Amino acid sequence: MFVARRMKKTTVTVVPSASLLEAQRRMREHTIRQVPVVSEDGTLLGILSDRDIRAAVLPAGLVPGFTPGDAEKFMKNTPVERVMTRKVVAATLSDTLEDAIVLLHDFRVNALPVVDNAGRVAGIITRTDVLEAFIDALGVGEVSSRLEVVVPDRPGTLAQLAAIIGSFHVNITSVLSTHHVEAGKRANFFRVATLNIGPIRKAIEEAGFEILDPSKFLLP
Amino acid sequence: MKRVAWIYHPDYLLHSPPFEHPESPERLIAISGHLGKAGLIERMIPVTPEYPEDADILSVHDREYLDKLETACRRGDLTLDAEDTYLNRHSFNIGLLSAGGAIAGAKAVAEGTVDRAFCAIRPPGHHAGKNAGMGFCLLNNAAIAARYLQARHGVGKVLIVDWDVHHGNGTQNIFLDDPTVFYFSIHEHPTFLYPGTGRRWEIGKGKGEGATLNAPMAPGAGDAEYRTTFEQLLDPAVERFRPEIILVSAGFDAHRDDPLADLQVTEEGFRFMTRHVLALADRFCGGKIVSILEGGYETSSLTSCIEIHIRELLGE
Repeated sequence: MFVARRMKKTTVTVVPSASLLEAQRRMREHTIRQVPVVSEDGTLLGILSDRDIRAAVLPAGLVPGFTPGDAEKFMKNTPVERVMTRKVVAATLSDTLEDAIVLLHDFRVNALPVVDNAGRVAGIITRTDVLEAFIDALGVGEVSSRLEVVVPDRPGTLAQLAAIIGSFHVNITSVLSTHHVEAGKRANFFRVATLNIGPIRKAIEEAGFEILDPSKFLLP
Repeated sequence: MKRVAWIYHPDYLLHSPPFEHPESPERLIAISGHLGKAGLIERMIPVTPEYPEDADILSVHDREYLDKLETACRRGDLTLDAEDTYLNRHSFNIGLLSAGGAIAGAKAVAEGTVDRAFCAIRPPGHHAGKNAGMGFCLLNNAAIAARYLQARHGVGKVLIVDWDVHHGNGTQNIFLDDPTVFYFSIHEHPTFLYPGTGRRWEIGKGKGEGATLNAPMAPGAGDAEYRTTFEQLLDPAVERFRPEIILVSAGFDAHRDDPLADLQVTEEGFRFMTRHVLALADRFCGGKIVSILEGGYETSSLTSCIEIHIRELLGE
């Protein structure tokens, strides 16, 4: 999946000459914590976060006799370009969601402006958007039951499990397969659209697989 | 001894699965057989449910959905969606009659012809939403009873206590933004059990914010955890809400022997919960309480828990 599918397309931006006050107003208005800084033609020049604004105002605030009015005046007189981060971590429209997840993680940023081939801002993708993608992928909140099956790490086991579930005429709404704590094994998680999970569990166990018993999870 | 209405209809057995399924007529056959042998049915007041009026069903469900359900049954469809929610030619009518059973219980208690009521009805209801049956449920019996009480008996505030092991997603959604119906559900945690909703921060929306309360239980939880939750979570909420009547969505599938879930509640847990809601009803509702059967799929524990439930309702 590409970032274009998950990014916010109506992106709020500011120009470099805008004041910090104006930038803060726009961020509050749209309840966002960072805003891409763009030229007149939309080319990405930098990014400004609410933390950047606070960090800029803080030193001025250390001057004796500094009032909230002074802070506002300072923000009004300081252009965005003086405070913004110029080395922006950005994604491109052809990046995948995996790229975005790794970028957000490795560069420890909260948001990635997404640019087109010409370097113009096409959208923005945040950690929240990525979490939303995970919630969807895991099927959280969908009407379903969950199964956790531990299998030997060898080809074909997932297909076997899917065939067993399929024989009960229920849809699988989510699948996740990961390493298991035990070496040589994998844990497979399914969400299946049925209340009647018992017979499926039983059939999987009869086929020789280990079902993680939820009631055992909390025991030491 | 309290006057307890026993709401039952032999036609409830007509809704039967076209394939092997845990929600079968045998559940009610076992319940009535067991209670009969224990001499408890003769100590209750039999009430025969009637088919409800359209308006009472339409207070909860859309006409479109009812038409779809009726057509599906008439056409001979075997299921409403997946194989969870099966149908046969009687299912639409028996769904109505099941809702009629909840209404009959509510009516008897509201009019004071009895003190309490137990509705031995099926199909169950708490997963059924406004526009969709699911999870063995066609019509939301408890929700229909709540609306009936408000529309026909001038009841303002209704408390629904749902101790079926599955979260009653249908009931929650129906009353999500309604401050007049407080929905409390204690159930196995949604990460582990169908339907995957009922997390603790689901508390209602808009005007109904705060009138939904969810208590997800970790797998393996039993009587002690249920007791703590009733005393520490439900009690203060009921104190604030001050209901005029209590409806219980009484499922018995949190029992340790039930095959559909992973909890460890015993007969004593169900005795505790029954006593607890009776005490709440006495304190806030002039004793008015209507218990409506939901799930419970292991015959032996289902019948022994319902026996205890009925004995407590009778106030032995």
